[in-house]
This record gives sequence, C-alpha cells and structure tokens, in this order.
Amino acid sequence: MIDLSSQREVLAAILEELGERLEDLAVITADVGKSTRVYRFGKKFPERYFNVGVSEQHMISFAAGLSMAGARPIVVGFSVFLMRAWEQIRNSLDIMNLNVKIVGTHSGFSDFADGSTHQSLEDISLMRSLPNMKVVVPADSIDIQRSLPQIVESVHGPLYYRIGRDESQVITSGCTYKFSLGRGYVLRDGYDIAVVGAGPILSEAIKASDELKKEGVSVAVINLLSIKPIDEELLEKYARKTGRIVALEEHSIYGGVGSAIAEVLARKYPVKIKFVGTSTYGRSAKSTKELWSHFGLNSASVVAGCKDLLKSSK
Amino acid sequence: MDIKGGGWRSFSLDEIEFISEKAKKTLKEMSKYDEHIHLESSLSSLKAISTIILGYWRDSDNPIDRDWFILSKGHAAPALYAVLAEVGLLDKKELFNINKVGSPIQNHPDLSIPFVGMTSGSLAQGLSFSLGISAWIKVKNGKGRVFTLMGDGEQDEGQVWEAITHAPVMRLGNLTVIVDLNRRQLDGSVHEIKPKDYMPLVWKAVGWNVIFCDGHNVRSIAHALENALASSLPSVVFAETSHVDGGC
Repeated sequence: MIDLSSQREVLAAILEELGERLEDLAVITADVGKSTRVYRFGKKFPERYFNVGVSEQHMISFAAGLSMAGARPIVVGFSVFLMRAWEQIRNSLDIMNLNVKIVGTHSGFSDFADGSTHQSLEDISLMRSLPNMKVVVPADSIDIQRSLPQIVESVHGPLYYRIGRDESQVITSGCTYKFSLGRGYVLRDGYDIAVVGAGPILSEAIKASDELKKEGVSVAVINLLSIKPIDEELLEKYARKTGRIVALEEHSIYGGVGSAIAEVLARKYPVKIKFVGTSTYGRSAKSTKELWSHFGLNSASVVAGCKDLLKSSK
Repeated sequence: MDIKGGGWRSFSLDEIEFISEKAKKTLKEMSKYDEHIHLESSLSSLKAISTIILGYWRDSDNPIDRDWFILSKGHAAPALYAVLAEVGLLDKKELFNINKVGSPIQNHPDLSIPFVGMTSGSLAQGLSFSLGISAWIKVKNGKGRVFTLMGDGEQDEGQVWEAITHAPVMRLGNLTVIVDLNRRQLDGSVHEIKPKDYMPLVWKAVGWNVIFCDGHNVRSIAHALENALASSLPSVVFAETSHVDGGC
C-alpha cells in the first residue's frame, strides 16, 4: 500500500511501475536518490538509473544527451537545486525541445526544517519563461497518480513537474476528472469569488471556502494543475462569473502562478486579483503548515484576501 | 543537406589534409564578411574537426549505432561550415551569409547543420551532453561512438569537473574528447587568466585515457584517435595548436 500522504513515495512507486512498461525510461538524479525515494527505480533497473553525484548542471545536460540518443529521461532533484542548472535547462534541453521530464521535489516550504536555502519559491517563474517548457503542479498524491504516468507516456518535450515532499493532504480523492495538459479543474464551485492556485497549498483554499460559506460567501476553488499551457477558458469563465480572483501559490508572487493568471485575464477579461504567495525567502520551522501561517499563505490569509476583494468591489 | 541515405564515405588522411587547407582559406574569406566570427578559435580547431568528420564519422539511422560529433566549443562552428562546404554538404556561397538573419550559417551551430549533434555555444554543456549519448549507447549495446571537441578556455567551467568525474565511473570507452590547446581564451592568454597546464593531469587523475597530439597535423590527430578508439576507458586528446593562423 502506497502512503498517499507522501508525494515522494507516490513518485517512486509510479516510476517503478512505468519502468516495467517503458524500456526507454531512464531516471537521473544528483545524489538525492534516497531523499526522493527514486533509488528504488535504480534497484529494479540499475542500467537505466544514473546517479551523477552532486552535479545538477551536469545532470541536466547529461539527461539531454540521453534523450538525444533515444532514451526517455526523467530527471529527479530538489527543485531548489535544479534552479542552479537553469541555464543548462535552457541551453542543453529546452532550446532543442528534447523529451526530458524534470521532477522538482521538496518544493515550496515542504522542506520545512532545512530553511531558506532549501525552499524553492522561484522555480515556477524560471521554468515558465522557457519557450518550450511546460509546467505542471499537482495538488496532491492523487493528482500525481492522475497526471504523471500520462505525462511520461504521451507528452513530448521538456516539462517541469513540481511536487512537494511529504505531509501533503489529499484533497482531490473525491474528484473524477482525468488529467489533460492545459486543463484546470473546479474543486469547489462558487459565484462570489474564485480562489485559483496549484499545489498542496490548495488545501488552505478549501478550508477558506468552508469558512466563508458559513458567512454566506460562495467561494469557488480552482485547481489549475497545468500552469503552462494554462486553461484560459476556465480562467475567463470564472473571472466573468465571480468578478474577483484570489491567486494562491506556495511560490513567489513575482512571475509565478498568480502572474500566469494575470497574464491571461489582462487579455481576456480583466478583474481584480489578490495575490497570495511569497515575496521573500523562507526559514526553518517545525512543519510546513507553520511556515504557511508565518508567511501568510494559510486559510486565514485567503479569507482575508477574499474579504478585501469583496469590500473593494461592493 | 541531408547526409543520411547518401552514404557517407571516409576520406584518406592525405585528402583530409588537402581539404583542410582549402577550408582554411574559405574560413579566412568568411571572416571578411562578418567581423564577429571567432576566427582564431575556428582556425585552431579546423583539422581536428575535419579529421573526425571526414576520417572517422560513421552513419546509421539508429541513434545508438551512428557516430556523434558534439562541438562543445560551439564558437568554432565556422570551421565546421568551411569543411562541410569543401565536401559539398553546404553551399559555399551560403557561408558568406554567416550571421545574416535567415541564414542557417550562424556563429554557433544548431541541429539544422549536417554532423551537428547538439545546438551548442554555452561552454561545457556539450561534454555532459556527450556523456549522456555515450551512456545510452552503452546501455543499449549500440555501435555508435561519440567525438566531442572542447576548448582549453572551456576547461574553466565547473561543469567540466562534474562531467569528467562521471565518465570513468560509467567506463565510457565509446567517448573521445579532443581539447584544442590553443592557449587562448576570450580575454587573452590562458597563462594570464587561468593556466591550463595541469588539465591533462586532472583528467588522468580521475580516470581518463590521456593522449597528446599535434592539432595541426592530420596524421598526428588520426594517430591519437586510433589510440582513443582502442581504449576501454573514456579518452581525451590534448591537441597542441596555435591560434595565430591555424598553424597549417
């Protein structure tokens, strides 16, 4: 039985399963095989598992070369340290539109104890700016099970897949949607405000929606899941329907999910947007949720954001 | 420009020497059309390029059975273009359009050019990329071999260390790297900026088969490549060259 509360456990189980079916699948990591759990793929398929040592830049160009020779590489690393290889991602990989999937683990505040150097809050922004790169951010382990196998099997080209570590609350188990790149999904319907975001932080949006419901405010919660390409139609629909958007992300508000939403709505149907995300570096704490509260990303911040918007647009 | 299906042939070393001399003239001519060409660095790499692609490179439709040429020092691309034009794989007139927007002939090479296995220009990445190709060929028991050309200035990149310590671990005997020792880097002499004399010792220490040759002599280069191809270790050839006029 897979531990559904741990994103990395689910990741490892999926890669093992895909390895059975796909003979060209290769997994590459940079001395974080144990921390990301993908060493299990290596135990099963030692020839197709490459631990390159603590060498993130080399890892990316190396994976690009594997792809050029016919492999289907999955790079797995801490999202924060993949950023040091951004230029390799650009020049060894994206520029040739090579079929390499990059899984960034321990994203956002999920590596709570290790502090600011280990907490990636800028990765979506960096990856999103690359012309061929696609970006997917699953909300929970069920979302990973829904989307990752399909991405590996049938989405061609470079794609950044951002996951957390453990402690991910399952929030989409009741949903019946199937993953489709470029589609977003309604987790809660509502008509006063739409909270739009991606990743485990959406659990706080659900909580906020429940709280506001008691006060008679109807809050929709949208799981974007695919940040690039993004579901323009769904964003426009909810902008028209509610007239107010709260963008929620476990990431910098500069260039991240909120910015992606704003880029669409500025063109399609401009409405007021409240950006809930980070604008500074993280720090060590005892839990991820403690950091969400500390940096104003919790349900209380979402509730406050919703109320601000309601006030200003009355 | 598609070389596949046409049947690629190997040239004799005398023919390669002759073609290289003609290509050298073409290259100097090209530099009159665009001042941004990295002429010195192209001249010093010219014979290593011509010896690999005209003397050794083997084709196949299967990516693990064909040979690969990775120009990690992408700024030597004009030398590659000049050689390709001499053997009819590029239109010589097109060479003089270098860096005109719309021309496939650019300062750094992309995948549209015959023999180019990687869009390159950012230093050291071609080395890691080559390891990836070599590793997959080895995993799949392919016949392909990988030839990678680097500069000596390029040795400054930290990624070189990340890559050279990895290749021997995987015992990539199908990988041959040539380092063009022209003793120059962008800002001037390597001796003034960061000496490179210890580099062969570094590569040797981490497990490479280290070979030296005269980078302006096709026979010397070929001799080194034979040695490299016979080794079960990854090989590096340090090719002594002169930046002044390509030494030819």
